[in-house]
Amino acid sequence: MFGITKIQFFNSNLKVLSTIIQQNGMSQYPNYYIKPIYKKDSQEELIKSGEIKKLSHLPTRAALADQTSSFSNDPLANLLINYCMREGNKILARNLVEQCFENIKRLQLEKYHKTTNEEDKHQIDLDPKSILHKAIENCKPILQLTPIKRGGVRYQVPVPITDKKAQFISMKWLIAAGQEKESTVRFNLQLARELIDAANNTGRVIKKKQDLHRQCEANRAYAHYRWS
Amino acid sequence: MKIFSSLLIISRPIPKEPVPFKEMLPLKLRATVSGKGGKSSDVCCIHEMSVMFACFKENEFNQDLCSKEVEKFQMCYKDNLKTSKTKKEREAKGVLTPGEKKLSHKQLNVLLKKFPNVK
Repeated sequence: MFGITKIQFFNSNLKVLSTIIQQNGMSQYPNYYIKPIYKKDSQEELIKSGEIKKLSHLPTRAALADQTSSFSNDPLANLLINYCMREGNKILARNLVEQCFENIKRLQLEKYHKTTNEEDKHQIDLDPKSILHKAIENCKPILQLTPIKRGGVRYQVPVPITDKKAQFISMKWLIAAGQEKESTVRFNLQLARELIDAANNTGRVIKKKQDLHRQCEANRAYAHYRWS
Repeated sequence: MKIFSSLLIISRPIPKEPVPFKEMLPLKLRATVSGKGGKSSDVCCIHEMSVMFACFKENEFNQDLCSKEVEKFQMCYKDNLKTSKTKKEREAKGVLTPGEKKLSHKQLNVLLKKFPNVK
């Protein structure tokens, strides 16, 4: 519905628009520019449903540098790179995450060749990206403690969180676990170890999540204090 | 002597209206309500949470064994978010639904406008 109105609006009074249009924050694009659809499968979906006709002649933003239709492009891995990044040094962050994936592959292959049992061999996951997805999924907390002031006392109140927030917390914990190491160990190796541990539902990050759940359980009497 | 003087004071005629009444605001109810104190607590899913915690305690916080309870809790929270969002939108617009008992100030104002006071 919204797409049609956009098209009609854009086609009918282009000249009027250019006078009315205000700047879209700091963006170089006015706000009627649509975001690019760069994923091949989502494009095919649009072609199938016939919505591509509506979108094909709309003004579209240029794709960002990390938005590619490449087979290896993974939005979650991209997000991990962005969360690892410090002071805008994306090249370093990307290198670290790629080296971490390489380390995961090496560690898993080592495990694979050491096991003699055929059944156990098949159960070892050799794909670093699926390990990353599993690890993030396993580390997602369900609740969070938020301080709420009642009668001059701060109570730690357990509050349910959205999926997006849970994903952010899980990735934050994983990165923090990778940084917590001896100075002789590199970050990428430690992160690889933590990711493999988390994918197998063991390790420090999983313990951290369970500790948070324990605290929430201890403070469950305050649950009715929350108001947001 | 003291008592006598006080008795004399009582017997004095009392002025009829010591403080004359002034009508500062019109003496009738307004046709609108203000939007103050509209906050209500959004506590939800307490029962689901307690069920989940009980399961967690039984299984030593192993989440895999309580997937059913966890899913129920998360679904409850998601549904609650959805309903509260739609409710907020309706309340902000002042859309009235027949049979609704808790009304926001905007909805109340819409209702009061529909049935104004008799002048």
